[in-house]
Amino acid sequence: MRTKGGFTPGWIGYGLTVAAAGFLAAALYMVFFVAPKEATMGISQKIFYFHVGSAINMLVSFGLCATAGIVYLSIGSVNRRWADIADAVGVATAEVGVTLGAIVLITGPLWARKAWGTWWTWEPRLTLSLMVFLLFLAYLALRAFAGSDRFGRSVAAGLSILGIPALYFIHVAVDRWGGAHPQVVYKGGLTQIDMRIAFGLSVAAVFLLATALSWLRLSIERERQHLDALYLEVDRRLG
Amino acid sequence: MDEFRRYLAIVQKDLRVEFRTREILYTTTLFALLLVVIFAFAFLSDAGKSRDYGPGIIWVTVLFATTVGQNRLFDRERENDCLWSLLLSPAEPSTVFMAKATAQIAFAVMMQVPTILLILVFFDLGVTDPFSFIAVLALGNVALGLVGTLFAAMLMNARMKEVLLPLVTYPIFVPVVIAGVKVTAVAVGAPIAEDPEVWLKFLAGFDMIFAVVTVVLFGRMVRA
Repeated sequence: MRTKGGFTPGWIGYGLTVAAAGFLAAALYMVFFVAPKEATMGISQKIFYFHVGSAINMLVSFGLCATAGIVYLSIGSVNRRWADIADAVGVATAEVGVTLGAIVLITGPLWARKAWGTWWTWEPRLTLSLMVFLLFLAYLALRAFAGSDRFGRSVAAGLSILGIPALYFIHVAVDRWGGAHPQVVYKGGLTQIDMRIAFGLSVAAVFLLATALSWLRLSIERERQHLDALYLEVDRRLG
Repeated sequence: MDEFRRYLAIVQKDLRVEFRTREILYTTTLFALLLVVIFAFAFLSDAGKSRDYGPGIIWVTVLFATTVGQNRLFDRERENDCLWSLLLSPAEPSTVFMAKATAQIAFAVMMQVPTILLILVFFDLGVTDPFSFIAVLALGNVALGLVGTLFAAMLMNARMKEVLLPLVTYPIFVPVVIAGVKVTAVAVGAPIAEDPEVWLKFLAGFDMIFAVVTVVLFGRMVRA
């Protein structure tokens, strides 16, 4: 039997990994050696470069995961191959998104302890981030424990899609619910040009890292699907 | 019209089976009553403060007991692959889903009526705004029923469905609980500055959006 049809990282995977490493190094250099110290918050402000970068890319990952869910449920019964790809994209982006979410939820309180004097407040944006994180942790729990048959796959896809209206309603609800808490003050943008460059580089670096990780995870998932198909084929031939 | 008759037939079937066995109603009601007793021991130190934690107790009890019922909802359809027979029948998947959700909400309401009355008595809560009190429970139950039924159906055969169902549904239920606790607090006269009407409209919007999304998703998910 041929084993053709596997999916190795290839030069895209290695290219992305190298690019991510380069951008990360450049971003770290800009953040710590070039960008000026922020006047009121001091050194603790520097955590924001990767905090916000991770937050943006977390949302991108989860958006892709939901898109993959939509693709899976729209063409799942028609085209097996594309359904498999959409399913693999869903797993890969959800895992990377959850990793980025963990970074956001760890760096955020570290900064808040310095700036607000408390690790955590039930402020709307924080609450929403936590809920997004929990929703996709549940998605991963489904992937891990609900089985990888078509039930497990379609229920996971369904959750990622249902997450979109759910997050909208969570957003509205926690906004009203947590209204009395202090709001995060976002100043009128980063004033220094070096700060902007450092910020842009950080976002790009985390984006490349997320893309590289997703790509590698995707290739592992495709290999796994291929292996499953081979097992089924062996079973069928041996009766 | 035919579709509506099929819907009624499935609801009737579920209610009839339930009234003969009383599996879900008996177990969830007893579970809810025990929860209330546990909450009484956990919180009741100062009777004057019951308005502060009463609404929370009502909603946590509703949420937990409803989840236990939802886990059992498709047990009967699992044996002999009954769910697939239902889906093979002339009824549309959306009809099957709406019928199961209706049955689920009916069981939940039947369980909640004695439970909530008992909470009102045990914790000495007076309902000053009966309309909001009942409306928020009705709207909240529709929300819990729609999302819960969808995932209960899809997790029917999963090995760990008892644990997975709340993991998946509770993040989605967060806005329902927030709205529910706020309106219930106002309805029992807690001194908070909230307009119950805003939250009731919010819940109505939640119900409408999720009615559409869950019906569409159910049809896609059983086919995929």
